[in-house]
Amino acid sequence: MSFLRKKRLFLLLIGFILLVALIGFSLRDREDLTIIEEIVNDTVGWAQSVVHAPVNWVTNVTRNIGDFKDTYEENKLLKQKLAEYKGLIYEVQELKEENEDLRKNLELTESDAIRNYNPIQATVISRSPERWLEQVTINKGKDNGVKKNMAVITPEGMVGKVMTPSKHTSTVQLLTGFDQFNRISGEISRDKGDNIFGMIEGYDKKSKHLIFRIIEESQKDVKKDELIVSSGMGGVFPAGLPIGKVQEVVPDKYGLTKTALVKPSADMYELNQVIVVDRSVQTDEGQESEEEEEE
Amino acid sequence: MKRAYLPLILLLILVLQGVSLDLLPGNLLRSDWLIVSHWVFIFLVFIAVFYDNESTHYSVLYALIFGLLIDIVYTSTLGVYMFSYASTIYLIYGLKKLLHGNILVVALLGSVGLIVSDGMIYLIYSVVGLTDIPWSMYLTNRLLPTIGSNLIFLFVLYPLFAKKLTNWGKDQITKGNSF
Repeated sequence: MSFLRKKRLFLLLIGFILLVALIGFSLRDREDLTIIEEIVNDTVGWAQSVVHAPVNWVTNVTRNIGDFKDTYEENKLLKQKLAEYKGLIYEVQELKEENEDLRKNLELTESDAIRNYNPIQATVISRSPERWLEQVTINKGKDNGVKKNMAVITPEGMVGKVMTPSKHTSTVQLLTGFDQFNRISGEISRDKGDNIFGMIEGYDKKSKHLIFRIIEESQKDVKKDELIVSSGMGGVFPAGLPIGKVQEVVPDKYGLTKTALVKPSADMYELNQVIVVDRSVQTDEGQESEEEEEE
Repeated sequence: MKRAYLPLILLLILVLQGVSLDLLPGNLLRSDWLIVSHWVFIFLVFIAVFYDNESTHYSVLYALIFGLLIDIVYTSTLGVYMFSYASTIYLIYGLKKLLHGNILVVALLGSVGLIVSDGMIYLIYSVVGLTDIPWSMYLTNRLLPTIGSNLIFLFVLYPLFAKKLTNWGKDQITKGNSF
C-alpha cells in the first residue's frame, strides 16, 4: 500500500514537471508550431470543416427566422440608404481619380503602399471553447499564403490577427483577447492633418472595451462615436482598417495621457466569413516593429 | 473494432466542442457569463464510471491524449487541459468505487470533476498570466454557468451511452486484455 502511495506521488510529480515544461515550451515566443501540432490542427480542422457546414445551416435557419420579423423595417431603411449611396459612389469615383492624379503629380507612393493589401477569403470553422483565450480557427493556412501576424477583418472592421498558421488552417486571435503584447497603432482621422494617433493596448475584460491610448498629448478633444482606424504605422497591419468607435475618454491612472474606451465595430460573436489581410508590399521588416511605433 | 469506438466518439465530441458556442444564443454570449463547454471531459467521466473496471485505466489514458489535443487545437498553451483532465479523471476513477453508477451519482461525480478540473485550469491560467479575474468573479461568472451547461450535456448523453459503455466494458473483460 505504501508503495502504491509513493507511486501515485511519483506520478503526480512527473505530471507536474511535464506540465511546467509544456507550458514553458508553449508560452515562449515561438515562431512556428511544431510538426505534431500542425498535423493535429490540420486533421481536426478538416473534421471541423465537415461538421461546421450542417451546424452552420441550423444556426442560420434559426437566425433567419428572427430576421424575417425585422425585414419590413429594414427594407425601408435600406432603400433610403441606397439612394444616398448612389450619390456617394459617383463622388467617391471622382475623388479617387483626383487622388490618383494628385498622387502621380507628387510622385507619392509610400502612403499608397501602406493601404494596399491582398485579401484572402476564409471561413471560420470553429471557435475555442476556452472563453478566456478568444481564438477562432479559419480554414486557410500557409498553403494559401496566410502568415503570422496578418490582420483578419470582416466588412465591418478588424476582428483580430493570425496567431499560428498551420498548413491548411490557422488560429486567429480575436481583438477581445488582445493583451499588451498585441498592439495596434491606430488613429482618429480629422480634417487638416489634425489626426489623433494612439495605440490599441489590449482589451479590458471588465468594461468590455478596447483600450486606445492617445500617445500624442493632444489638446484636441476626442469625442464619442469617433471612428478609430488602423494607421498602418506599426508595420504589420495596413492603414485604414476600421477598428472601433470611441465610447468614453478617461485619463489614465497617472493622469498624463488620455485613454479612450473603444467598442470594436465588428461583431466578435457572429463570425462566419472573414478576410485575411496580406500586406504583401512590405514583408519582413514589419514583423518586429509592431510595438516600436514612434509618432 | 469496439476498442476504436471510444477514441472516435471522443474525437467527434472534440470537434463538436469547437462549434458549441455557435449553438448558444447570441445574448448569452455577450453577457458576463462565460460558458465553457467541457464535453470531452463529461464523456471521459462516463468512461471512468461505466467502461473502466478495477484493472483498466482507459479513462485516464484518454484524458491524457484528448486533454493534449484540446490544448493543441483550441488553446495553443500545451499541458493545461491535459494535466487537469487527467488528474481529475484519476480522482473520479478513485471515487466511483465508493458509489454505484446511476444517473445521480454520475451527475454528482461530473459536477465535482468540473469544479476540480475547471478550478485547476483557472489556477494554472492565473499563475501563467492568461487571465486575471478574482476568485469571486470566477465563481459566479464562469464556474456556475459552466457546470450548469455541462450538466445538461451530461443528462443528454446519459441515456445514449450509459448502457452501451457498460456492455463494451464487459466485453473487454471477457477478452481479457488489460492496460
